[in-house]
Amino acid sequence: MSDLSAVEDTRRPAYGAGRVLIVIYGVFAVSATARSGVQLIRDAGEAPLAYTLSALAAVIYLVATIALAHNGRRWRKVGWVAVIIEALGVLLVGALSMTHPELFPRETVWSGFGAGYGYVPLVLPFLGLSWLWWSRPSRIAAA
Amino acid sequence: MRWDYPSRVLVVTWCIIGACLLLAGWAGVRALRDKPVIFVQLVAAGVVEVAMIVQIVLAAIGTGSGEVAPDPLLLWGYLVTALVLLPAAAWWALLDRTRWSSVVLIVAAFAIAAMQLRIWQIWVLG
Repeated sequence: MSDLSAVEDTRRPAYGAGRVLIVIYGVFAVSATARSGVQLIRDAGEAPLAYTLSALAAVIYLVATIALAHNGRRWRKVGWVAVIIEALGVLLVGALSMTHPELFPRETVWSGFGAGYGYVPLVLPFLGLSWLWWSRPSRIAAA
Repeated sequence: MRWDYPSRVLVVTWCIIGACLLLAGWAGVRALRDKPVIFVQLVAAGVVEVAMIVQIVLAAIGTGSGEVAPDPLLLWGYLVTALVLLPAAAWWALLDRTRWSSVVLIVAAFAIAAMQLRIWQIWVLG
């Protein structure tokens, strides 16, 4: 860890298993965007909180996809932020949709801890976090 | 009124789900053996893609002749979104000649199967 600049990073962006994570994030970015698009076009006024959350989730998945794929120094920071927000979002919205269902009269990606998507939204942020931790440059430089 | 037009389209939907699961299984075997996606798999993916275009054409004919699905916007959202996944996986397979292209194909195929299941739900359950 003495001189990071001396270590040549020959990895391709998000080498190996991380690439699969990019795809899963990509699929969620596409489907969450499509879902919030449908909700906003059809009946925006009906459940503003749920629909705003859907749109927010779509943006976060999109940013996380780009960040994981780019894997550059700044984008990795963006990726950390996006994935942490995503983890908090799924836990918070999941818990709230259980205790206060009246807040979410319409489904979001994160309702019921992502039950509508096979609980993938619950697992995904933690896969993302462990990937970001595992692939961090200082760890690779130390190895 | 019950939307009873889509029996033909539903047959196509189940065929797509079956084909996607087969494709995912095939890619799964290759991923376990540490092999990338091969061209024959892309041909199979192309067949699934054509089936989805047929499905869209049938749904469009149905809509054109006055058979309106319970939730057309949602239905068309899924129909169109499902189309982009396999080309993306194929693009990936061409660029990435490692086992991970097989895993990417598994993800895409499963996502399409899930979307087709939702299409079926929208049609049948309303």
